[in-house]
Amino acid sequence: MKLLIVEDQARTGQYLSQGLNEAGFATELATDGETGQFLALTGDHDLLILDVMLPGRDGWQILQAVRQAGLDTPVLFLTARDAVEDRVHGLELGADDYLVKPFAFSELLARVRSLLRRGASPSQDTTLGLADLRLDLIRRRAERAGQRIDLTAKEFALLELLLRRQGEVLPKSLIASQVWDMNFDSDTNVIEVAIRRLRLKIDDPHPNKLIHTVRSMGYVLEERTE
Amino acid sequence: MRRVSLGSRLALLFAACTAAVSLGAGLIFSRASEQHFVELDQQLLDSRLSLFRTQLAGITTPAELQARLPALRDELGHQADLALRINGSDGATWFESRTGLPPAPLPDGLATLHAQGTDYRSLAVHLAQGAPQSPQLTLYLDITHHQHFLQGMQRLIWLTVGLSALATALLGAWAARRGLRPLRQMGQVAASVSARSLTTRLPVAQMPEELAELATAMNAMLQRLDDAFQRLSAFSADIAHELRTPLSNLLTHTQVTLTRPRSLEEYREALHGNLEELQWMAQMINDMLFLAKADHGLLVPGQAPLVLNDEVDALLEYYAPLAEDSGVQMLREGEALLQGDRHMLRRALSNLLDNALRFTPAGGQIRVTLGPGPRIGVANTGAAIEPTVLPRLFDRFYRVDPARREGSSEHAGLGLAITRSIVQAHGGRIRAECADGWTRFVIDFTEDR
Repeated sequence: MKLLIVEDQARTGQYLSQGLNEAGFATELATDGETGQFLALTGDHDLLILDVMLPGRDGWQILQAVRQAGLDTPVLFLTARDAVEDRVHGLELGADDYLVKPFAFSELLARVRSLLRRGASPSQDTTLGLADLRLDLIRRRAERAGQRIDLTAKEFALLELLLRRQGEVLPKSLIASQVWDMNFDSDTNVIEVAIRRLRLKIDDPHPNKLIHTVRSMGYVLEERTE
Repeated sequence: MRRVSLGSRLALLFAACTAAVSLGAGLIFSRASEQHFVELDQQLLDSRLSLFRTQLAGITTPAELQARLPALRDELGHQADLALRINGSDGATWFESRTGLPPAPLPDGLATLHAQGTDYRSLAVHLAQGAPQSPQLTLYLDITHHQHFLQGMQRLIWLTVGLSALATALLGAWAARRGLRPLRQMGQVAASVSARSLTTRLPVAQMPEELAELATAMNAMLQRLDDAFQRLSAFSADIAHELRTPLSNLLTHTQVTLTRPRSLEEYREALHGNLEELQWMAQMINDMLFLAKADHGLLVPGQAPLVLNDEVDALLEYYAPLAEDSGVQMLREGEALLQGDRHMLRRALSNLLDNALRFTPAGGQIRVTLGPGPRIGVANTGAAIEPTVLPRLFDRFYRVDPARREGSSEHAGLGLAITRSIVQAHGGRIRAECADGWTRFVIDFTEDR
């Protein structure tokens, strides 16, 4: 997976590049609009991350050029601007997502993965699983080590999200948005409590823990060998 | 196009009006005096002509005329400005008392003529009344001095027009300057307004009626500017104040960590600490920007028909685990419909519920009441809040207990301010009340929306 980052703030670009590299993506970094557009049109990228304010050509112009060239590469905008009309403008031009600075890297990573997954055909899985945990999507049943586990509808949805995106750190805001449709940052610890309750049912009776807290960043479902 | 000042414009208009009026008056006067002269001349010519008629009565040939010429000349001698010509019916001149008269014959009646530098008024008649074959008498009156008088008067009229126009222009300029003084005052006030002196106001009571409205409008504008500026100042001050603690924590923590080599675990711990502090700051800045947008009227809620019971149920489901943990019972009563922005309203209600959960003791209850009409009430049991404090709950960064925020994971005190902004953006109002052991937040959306 190759990503192009066009960001004129040297540090921001460098950090993003490093973070995405370490998350397993190949990245290319351009620090001005002209170079950014050239690379966007010539390189074969799976995703473009564009800053709006750039020297030379701004992010919107690059986006226009890319769409005019017939490329449907997903585009994620980063901006310090937060006006509604900006948002509308960007989405009209064909941007796929939007992140307003300041944002958390875990949020960016989660969105990047969502966008990259969007192109792929939706999974037809009827069951999801990790280690000895099984989720039957049709019968809405969960079991671990052959033991049936009773889950509420939201607990089921939460576990389904964690399983579908296993190995990814999911920020609390993303969980709130995907499971409860609460699309705003709030400083409540609802998600913590919900995760704790899920753990109580999924992990507590078993020595091999699957749900892990990544401090200050979110939660991840994965099998860890101690 | 060059801009003409209001003063000069008025002065020029005044001058033009005066010129037109005096010109009109002059023309009427000059026409009237000319008419008057014509009448005088006619009277004179009529009386003279009847005299000559009697003298010349009966003549039909030039020969007969010769006999009467001495008396005629004598009569004409008395009046230097009169001249007479007699023509036969064939047009031949029988007699001319003076040379250089305008050519004859003329049609019968009064005429004004000019010949060889002299102006004449002439009256032509036939000797025998109503007999065209009888000789024609034409009497000429020299009116050069009348014409001179009229010309002089016309010059005088033009002079008057010019002078009065000039005088009114000058006087008008002065009057306009005086009359427009309130406008200049306005200009001075406007010029003196700066960020430091937004409290200056125009004295509306002293303004003339026409300007009072403008002055009121300008004062209202100043008021709005002042409010906006105050908000902006408070906003910057709040931000600076609220960021100070976490920034100072970050600085201290980072510097202390770097003063000597530490274990990997300690570095990780330090970064985590910083991360928490930074996340708190980022959240606060985003919230502040949201509020700033609301302050500037940039918050434009969507307009979707919402079933509030469903929205509230979703929120109660979201908060259910937290409520169960704190031993608080949550329930909804009633139903309501509303046009509005789903995400914003969820956020507003979520802040109210979050707030209620914070202050409801274990074993307490949170009750969301919908209706009647587009009204939402969120009530919780708990310690009573001072009545004086209730309206301040919606102020940004207001905390009932100022000492509460130590440690960054604590609430920033923006939740209720955000709720109020969202409610106001929907054209609603929110208030807090406290009675019988219940703290209640009531949102009223106006019916006509």
